[in-house]
Amino acid sequence: MRHSIKISREACQGCVNCIRVCPTEAIRIIDGEINIIAELCIDCGECMRSCSRKALGIDEDDWNKIRESSRAAVLADPVFFSQFSHYGRPEVLEDVLSQQDMNVLVDEVEDAYDLSAYASARLIARSARQSLPLISCYCPAVLRLIQSKFPEVLPRIVPVSTPLEMAADLWRMRTGSSAPITLLAPCPAKITMVHEPQGRESSPIDYGVTVRKVARSIMAAGEIVVAADAPVKTRNNRWVAWARRGGESRHVQAFADKQLTILSVSGMRNTLDVLQELELGRLRGVDFIECRICDTGCVGGVGTADSRFLANLRLKNIENTDTNWTVTPKELARAEELFAMDFWPHSKQLEARPSLPLSDNVAEAMAKLQQLKEVYAGLPHIDCGSCGRPSCQAMAEEIVRGHGSPTDCIFKLRESIATMANKIVVLSESQPHTLKRKAALHQQ
Amino acid sequence: MSAPVCQEYRIEGNDYMDAGAASNNIKNTLKMLGLSSDICRRAAVVTYEAEMNLVIHAGGGTLKAVIYEDHVELYAIDEGPGIPDVGKAMTEGYTTASDAAREMGFGAGMGLPNIKKNSDEFELKTEVGKGTTIKSTIHFNK
Repeated sequence: MRHSIKISREACQGCVNCIRVCPTEAIRIIDGEINIIAELCIDCGECMRSCSRKALGIDEDDWNKIRESSRAAVLADPVFFSQFSHYGRPEVLEDVLSQQDMNVLVDEVEDAYDLSAYASARLIARSARQSLPLISCYCPAVLRLIQSKFPEVLPRIVPVSTPLEMAADLWRMRTGSSAPITLLAPCPAKITMVHEPQGRESSPIDYGVTVRKVARSIMAAGEIVVAADAPVKTRNNRWVAWARRGGESRHVQAFADKQLTILSVSGMRNTLDVLQELELGRLRGVDFIECRICDTGCVGGVGTADSRFLANLRLKNIENTDTNWTVTPKELARAEELFAMDFWPHSKQLEARPSLPLSDNVAEAMAKLQQLKEVYAGLPHIDCGSCGRPSCQAMAEEIVRGHGSPTDCIFKLRESIATMANKIVVLSESQPHTLKRKAALHQQ
Repeated sequence: MSAPVCQEYRIEGNDYMDAGAASNNIKNTLKMLGLSSDICRRAAVVTYEAEMNLVIHAGGGTLKAVIYEDHVELYAIDEGPGIPDVGKAMTEGYTTASDAAREMGFGAGMGLPNIKKNSDEFELKTEVGKGTTIKSTIHFNK
């Protein structure tokens, strides 16, 4: 399984910040080096946020090389349009990018996001009460989190390709071009989506680069003035709102026939809580859940260039002043037309990625479970991370699985040393018979 | 048959912040045994609702999971006020939860019906003034 988080072994000091924040407990320190367990990682980027030494970074494609080709096809995540203080309107930035010799896919993005919102609204309307709420699969990290920790929630995921993928599909269909498409992604999860798509065999997108990289290179070029009389297209801009929490919900509502009950949730803790509540069947009466692993939504991604607070503010302005929330009959007809085509549904079932059981045989697994309980009882339960594992529970589990020994725990090691030291003292006091007599004489 | 594995948790009354932790632990334990996600989910729902009952109504109690090779027995034992009318308590939507509990979104009157729905066998013993014991059994291979 491919991921988009890279480790700089030189910068890593072996502190344990990252292993403790990882929501899937995917990180270990083995022989002084940080290791990410590929089967568990969901590319959420929490570890990168926790690293003060920049030892963790995003593994992205080479933007300088991609730029070498003229009019490279660029698919910009909506987040990209919130990163600049001097290009307030998305239409203006689109023009700037075009002047920078890029072919930005905005027509397709506009259609694809409309299609995604329309499809969600339609699927909600035709779902039976007990199969609601449906949950958005826009955030690839949420999707992977569900696959590994909440597999029971999988049938509730809207089985639609993400709008970014659909925009690329549309562009390929309309132009017949097989030229590479580069996604400007705000996070490692979306870069991984390019290289390892979910719900479909292959991705229509070829490369993934961070929003940060490209935004910085444009910022470095200085402000590009767009001629006042330049023919700037007028767009509905509903898709831009998806970059912040609540945007998708508003878009889905715009296509729904009736008022929907929607939860918009962002941030790791809120995501974990809402998924758990959903799994326990506590969210009755909710129609749809928009869920993003990053706080404030995609603008909070670890691969962005500007402050998420400012970006969020700019998006709010665009949403309130430059966005047309009323779907025109023409737009509705286009969404219906695209919906009638068959390229948007998932072509591959989303699979659960459950954690490995202790053994394939229940009886054996139970014996190991008992053993695990005993090992765990002997550990200090302070989850210090010094053993290189995220918790005492994780350590106990690995010992039982045969990876590690109790003396990996510094507290257990100290205990063993103390026991041994006491033994040495006792041994030193016991003397051989030949010396015993001399010692007795000496005392006299 | 190997010896059953027992997990026991003391649940404090009115402690809404910690509620759900025990049921989550039990679910994760069952997952480690390689049981199907449907079994794990049902056990999670049963223990969660039972845990909430202990928190909201009983002033605390004990939650216990006894895991055998082919089934799991889930117990919720308390020395709370007991249930005066079991028939009513088993009705969906019926609740005696306090306003404070309902303000927090608990007490929708789905607790006991949900436990029963997700159990293969369900037993309830209650005595007013003495307490309540719930036993729910879930079989692994049906």
